[in-house]
Amino acid sequence: MSEMMAGGASAAVAEPSVLVPQVATIRRVTEETPDVKTFQVVFEDPGVTEDFAYLPGQCCMLSLPGSGEAMISITSSPTRRGFLEFAVKKVGIFTSALHELEPGDQIGVRGPYGNHFPLPLMEGRKLLFVGGGIGLAPLRSLINYVIDEKDRFGPVSIIYGARSPEDLVFKEELFHTWAALPHVSLHLTVDKGDASWEGHVGFVPAYLEELAPAPEGTTVITCGPPVMIKFVLQALSKLGFPPERVITTLEMKMKCGVGKCGRCNIGGKYVCVDGPVFTAAELAQLPAEY
Amino acid sequence: MAFPMAAPAALAAARLARAALADLWQALAASHRMAAPVACDGVFRFQETADLAAVRLDYNTTILPAKKFFYPPVETIFRFHRHRGALAPDEEACEARRPLALFGLHGCDVRALELLDQVYTGEFSDPAYARARAETFIVALSCLEPGPSCFCTSFRSGPFPESGFDLLLTDLGGHYLVEAGSARGAGLLQQLGAEPADSEDQLLKTHRLREAVARFRRHIPTEGLPRLLNQAFQHPVWQALKDQCLSCGTCTVVCPTCYCFNVWDKVNLDLETGERKMAWDSCQLLDFGQVALGQNFRRDRAARIKQRIYHKLNYFREQYGKFGCVGCGRCVEACVKHIDPVTIVAALKGV
Repeated sequence: MSEMMAGGASAAVAEPSVLVPQVATIRRVTEETPDVKTFQVVFEDPGVTEDFAYLPGQCCMLSLPGSGEAMISITSSPTRRGFLEFAVKKVGIFTSALHELEPGDQIGVRGPYGNHFPLPLMEGRKLLFVGGGIGLAPLRSLINYVIDEKDRFGPVSIIYGARSPEDLVFKEELFHTWAALPHVSLHLTVDKGDASWEGHVGFVPAYLEELAPAPEGTTVITCGPPVMIKFVLQALSKLGFPPERVITTLEMKMKCGVGKCGRCNIGGKYVCVDGPVFTAAELAQLPAEY
Repeated sequence: MAFPMAAPAALAAARLARAALADLWQALAASHRMAAPVACDGVFRFQETADLAAVRLDYNTTILPAKKFFYPPVETIFRFHRHRGALAPDEEACEARRPLALFGLHGCDVRALELLDQVYTGEFSDPAYARARAETFIVALSCLEPGPSCFCTSFRSGPFPESGFDLLLTDLGGHYLVEAGSARGAGLLQQLGAEPADSEDQLLKTHRLREAVARFRRHIPTEGLPRLLNQAFQHPVWQALKDQCLSCGTCTVVCPTCYCFNVWDKVNLDLETGERKMAWDSCQLLDFGQVALGQNFRRDRAARIKQRIYHKLNYFREQYGKFGCVGCGRCVEACVKHIDPVTIVAALKGV
């Protein structure tokens, strides 16, 4: 554990709380959009980086003493070792403070937390990714995982949209890396185009219905704003995708990440430990509070 | 109504003359900080006290439950010293304290600690909580007289506790029956050299238990309760409660099994040093589910009331296999509008 922060108030022996983060240094900052930056970080303690085992879908609590903490999905793939990446949209106090940081600055990281995308539901099958806005962040971890382990998975289709062309995240991968791969097909859309945009214009759920992919042999993984997920799930249901083969992620407020602070409780689940990844079939069993 | 079974055979049982209670107290006080129910402005509270004479074993319930000893209302997770671009250490010397002995806990509060253990000592165990729990000696007390809001028999957490204690005291009139529930409890009994209890003491205890159980007037029928709740998510009772509830969060503060907490950074005036703190929080407060940009996962007050009741009576059971309510009645007593799980369940059942 971190030597940089002193743990537990009444602790005579300093066994630190699980809420004490590791110290990590920002190695690279990529400006994805006007309000999204990707932070590549490495732990100060090389042993921590070495032991940090995770799978796509898992999250970390990022932390800046004085500004707080937030749960952010890991956007790098575990197939690419030696660093972690987090794509963060600037929306509140913590994320605004994070956006001020530069390479060389330190942040706190604890995790990995939560479950991961269920690989057995995807292996040997065609994969359809449906993403919206910053929702591509957790999907990117899985997309790169699937690309790096391509013998284990079928062909990949990605339907991704954002408010405007400049709000599309991971442009380098969307327009170059992924676009160049023969087994990956990309379908981009924006809510509102601009002078230079020649692609599709329209909301993601409508574009999905328009493309009407066949459900046979396909597993769908979707992530985006809650309202997009809601309509994507409806569209998938209309297209005949069984809810057991539709995977999504939930968002809730979180303070601890370890199933104790109570914020992310929905029914008998804590999104931080039992989620964030759920199938549409599992969601149907929860009270309609997500 | 389900009749609570008599406690399973304890490791050891002894008779303790009323006057000898002081011996038990002294034996514990030699190596522990003692905490017990004491009277304060006409109500009772658990607090540290060195004086057995101040202890009120005739108490009905305390304002706050015993969770405060293991999970303090406000704690420091760590201290920090920040300057641009770096997190710097601030080592803190921690004082070693003598372990605690809780003297006179009723069954409801003993069960509540067992439930909190499931949360705090399972996966991602809280080391400070786990240490405090492990070293705390618990002297439980069979509750003979239910308070006006009590309904512990519904969850079999009382009136006589069956587990979760080192020693259990039952007032048999002329003397106490003391039963050990742990090896260290049995060891202490041995050390006291008290006269072993006999079958007559056990019979008398069973009789006392019957009498105590018969005094309960309030019950939550637990048979089929999860099913009832699963079907009642849209029941009109939640809208009616919404109009009563003030969202003050008192119910969760006094609840012995509420464990939700907030985490925040307290920055000192130098804007460099500070502490990350955690503190009891309440799902009843508006900002509990609020995130950036004013989004709120439970903005509707009815959703927040439902969250508390469902968490106690349904979700906790799904997560940990036991009901999350112990029937102590504190939330009913503390609520200015007397919102009451007993009457809520009765309304859902259409009684």
